[in-house]
Amino acid sequence: MQRDSSSLDKLLENPRVWRGHNQAHAPAGLASGYEALDNHLPGGGWPQNALTEILVEHYGVGELRLLMPALARLSTADNGMDYNDPGWIAWVSPPFQPYPPALQQWGIDLSRMLIVRPKDASEMLWSAEQALSSGTCAAVLLWSDTLDDQASRRLQLAAEKGQSWAIAFRPPAARHQPSAAALRIELLAGREGTRVSILKSRGGRPAVLHDLL
Amino acid sequence: MGRARRHHRSTRELFDQQSLALDEVSATPRVVKAPPVRRLWFCVYLPQLPLEASGPGASARAVVEEKQGIHRVLLACPKAEAAGVVPGLSANAALALLPGLVIEERSEVAEQQALEHLASWLEQFSSMVSIAGPDLLLVEIAGSLRLYGGLLKLRQQIATGLEQLGFSASLAIAPTPLAATWLARGGRRACVRDPANISTALRTLPLSCLDWPAATCESLVGMGVRNIGECLRLPREGFARRFGPQRLLELDRARGRLPDPRTGWRAPERFCADYEMTEEQSDRELLLAICGELLQSHERFLLARQLGVQSIEFSFFHLRSSATVLRLGCVEAERQASRWSDLLRLQFEKLVLPEPVIAVRLQSGHAQALRAESGRLVFRGRTAGRGIRFSIAQLAERLMARVGRQSVAGVATVAEHRPQLAWRARNLLQEKTLGEVSMARGKLQRPLWMLPEPARLNVDDGYPLHQGRLRILDGPERLETGWWDEDSIARDYYTAINPRGMRLWVFRTRSRDADWYLHGFFG
Repeated sequence: MQRDSSSLDKLLENPRVWRGHNQAHAPAGLASGYEALDNHLPGGGWPQNALTEILVEHYGVGELRLLMPALARLSTADNGMDYNDPGWIAWVSPPFQPYPPALQQWGIDLSRMLIVRPKDASEMLWSAEQALSSGTCAAVLLWSDTLDDQASRRLQLAAEKGQSWAIAFRPPAARHQPSAAALRIELLAGREGTRVSILKSRGGRPAVLHDLL
Repeated sequence: MGRARRHHRSTRELFDQQSLALDEVSATPRVVKAPPVRRLWFCVYLPQLPLEASGPGASARAVVEEKQGIHRVLLACPKAEAAGVVPGLSANAALALLPGLVIEERSEVAEQQALEHLASWLEQFSSMVSIAGPDLLLVEIAGSLRLYGGLLKLRQQIATGLEQLGFSASLAIAPTPLAATWLARGGRRACVRDPANISTALRTLPLSCLDWPAATCESLVGMGVRNIGECLRLPREGFARRFGPQRLLELDRARGRLPDPRTGWRAPERFCADYEMTEEQSDRELLLAICGELLQSHERFLLARQLGVQSIEFSFFHLRSSATVLRLGCVEAERQASRWSDLLRLQFEKLVLPEPVIAVRLQSGHAQALRAESGRLVFRGRTAGRGIRFSIAQLAERLMARVGRQSVAGVATVAEHRPQLAWRARNLLQEKTLGEVSMARGKLQRPLWMLPEPARLNVDDGYPLHQGRLRILDGPERLETGWWDEDSIARDYYTAINPRGMRLWVFRTRSRDADWYLHGFFG
């Protein structure tokens, strides 16, 4: 009897065994503010201390709106009197200027915004890693066309180390590259609105959500 | 007659016992007991400091200060005064009188810096220099007289030095700090050496030298008291009751009846150490190790003094070419060698050394008191769990060291209706709080992405184009403002969507050509 259960444990430890949707084991996620999305994510929200990839072809299709409720909560959560409290949100090489009045309308605490504009890809990766592992940033958003497998692994590790949330915006072509991200989402925009497609979700299942944004 | 005289004397004695001026009226010379240490205070009063703090200038200048919304002249240079620019005049009137007048806003920071600069300069004359007020310096010179060849020579030396430094000062010497101060304010070139003579010297000084509150001086004038001598003749008890014991204390201190301790000023210390090598080195790892060693002794130096510095400078000396200098800066005063070597490592990578190095020097900037923060008692959920490696200031510093100072910023909103002016970048290291609130708090949505400059859109058959025809979802929101400066706008803003599903923030100018522009994306 004893031997049986231990051999079962052993079998389950094998990485080739894929266990189905198991909400009880998934660490609690960060509520996204979109109920339909939360229902499809293991842990009921954005995976924490991990890398999330958002594949998007054009900007302005709701890629930031998707994140805003969660970011707003992160930026205001711990913010006490201390300037050095965590809860900072770092933007690494954003394609345009994040517009503060709009951020404020979404409830983001502007005093916790850090915008970094590195000159090249290696500086970008370094800056993102620094921000992620510092422990001060609750979330780090980065935009890159050239992220590779190794870089995504480094970001994932930095996010674990600093207990932060890394969000990488990448072009849709990146779908065919392997990635260490815990969650990959593609935004499919069209005249009728933006569909959210979950390509990969650690401990979850792929899905396509309509009418979310 | 004799009786009358005696009677007269006895009333005088009675009066004297009550009056403040006990010793000055008594006719018989008293035996003055010399205090154990006799002090002599040299007061430097700088009435022109607001004007002189900003350095010399060739043209006519005036310093103005804002009072109740009006800029009024505080001080004017002799040239300007000759033209009729007098203190109290409004800045506009002064400009009307003298169109070429250079008007400067008063800078108290600059004044303080000038004062500290003078204090360090005065340290050569005495070990005891004290900053006694915003325009006052006191030097205790009793111990320096012999060295400098007597009082007059010392006085002459200080006066000449001050003149060369570009400061016009009123100087006075007295055995107590307050007496010296009052004499200097009164513009008397007095030199009182004997404490017994203080009262005599002070007697004719006007009340304004005391720098007492205006109300006190007014009520004294109302009583018929016009100078310090008359003030000293008032009964002690009544004086204290009427004007407060503090004023009485000052009078007593000025005459040396009560001690008047002063705090000395010390010029901030700097660290400077060299590391010389027996032969030239170009091994960068070795050089880094040497820098690390210098930083260690720098840390010990600061630790012993409980100080920190905001900037340090490494100089790498070469045999033939001039030294390569590497400056490191830090947001908050810092002394830890590990933190400095962190910053050094980031910058050292990029440093180009033209030649092998023969010596390294570490020189620290102005040391300042280290601001320590007490630890937090209460653990809050997230803070406790998250291992903080860097504070935000440290993170920003590291990022700036590698990416560049301009490339790291925070944001803030500005109370302004024009969209492009409704925000600004915030220096994370200097501004720790946000001041203004946004004007766009209403229901009107603003886009999360903003273009640096509005981009003109082509128009097809009346429809603006951006990767296809735009369809208007919402609008217009009319913004017509800024007529008071060059950036006035008259625009109708719309929310639009293009065939690819991008939501755009576009506007149409309200000029004759009515062009369409793209200003942002609803990300």
